[in-house]
Amino acid sequence: MRLSVAAAISHGRVYRRFGLSPRSRLDLLRNLVTALVRHERIETPWARADEMRGYAERLIDYAKRGDKDERAMRMADFWLTEKDLIHKLFKVLAPRFQPHPGSYTRMLQIPNRDGLDRAKMAVIELKGNPLPPLVRPRRDSDKTLLNQLLKGYRQDAQRAAAS
Amino acid sequence: MAVLVRSPLPRLRALLQRCWGRMKRGLWPGVFGGQSPPWGPALAVQGLALVPQGINDGGESSTEAPSLLESVVWMAAPKQRRTIEVNRCRRRHPSKLIEIKRNIDVCPECGNLKQKHVLCGYCYTKVKEETRLIRMEIYKKEGGPFNSPTVETVVLYEGEKPTEKDEGKRIIERARKRPSWFVQN
Repeated sequence: MRLSVAAAISHGRVYRRFGLSPRSRLDLLRNLVTALVRHERIETPWARADEMRGYAERLIDYAKRGDKDERAMRMADFWLTEKDLIHKLFKVLAPRFQPHPGSYTRMLQIPNRDGLDRAKMAVIELKGNPLPPLVRPRRDSDKTLLNQLLKGYRQDAQRAAAS
Repeated sequence: MAVLVRSPLPRLRALLQRCWGRMKRGLWPGVFGGQSPPWGPALAVQGLALVPQGINDGGESSTEAPSLLESVVWMAAPKQRRTIEVNRCRRRHPSKLIEIKRNIDVCPECGNLKQKHVLCGYCYTKVKEETRLIRMEIYKKEGGPFNSPTVETVVLYEGEKPTEKDEGKRIIERARKRPSWFVQN
């Protein structure tokens, strides 16, 4: 039975420490969630984006319950500091993500910040946003082996169907 | 050896002073066997004790404060100059050099270099600038803070009409041709 905690060991701790205190950490993450819901794409240090992602997705899960739900409304009231975003959450984001079972956000790393600290930055966005896409999905070129084989198979099938 | 003198009663003090005088003059052979040992108030020094200067002063220097050189604490210092060969071995050890990165690739869109797990800097700046202009249009349309709408938004460029999928959405107009990398859904 462990009677004392050795200093500087944090095995199994999942939550990062931010800000001045646990309350300050929640306020920081709350500001980020509000900004994400408002702007649908934000650029922040990677650790903050990673931490905030879980909270944002759970908030959307609560919003999917509908705005008649008391717990969902209380969650939205706490997590969104700008109260016009509560309407946006329940009327825009909840219907948008109704068909999806999970993973409503996309997080990508961007080049380190230009300032003195060269911090590792990430851009986190809600899927289905109206803004220009960050990454264009690329199709493999036609010259790859698999694509050439598939092309040959298709041609054979057409020839067999024609004859 | 530090000599402690307690403050006794006056008669005891007189006795002790007499004994002390006799010991110093060497008239008390029982203590040191006739030889006169190096008397004088020796100061407490850590490590090797040098012969202190107070040996000649005798009793008078017992009231002086110890000088700075005698109460110094000994600290580690290098004995020899490190040769340039040794210095080079330390400075050029692999653990001290910057690791070479092998995850740099060419971005297929613009041809700039990028790390494999990071977005291309040039393409991201392009997208960021366009996003900024779209957001300026949104701000102009909303007119003030805290006015976000309760409907979806769609961005249309010059000469584009809203399709049937864009029913009931708020339309943001951008006064330029649609960029090739922003595919209309």
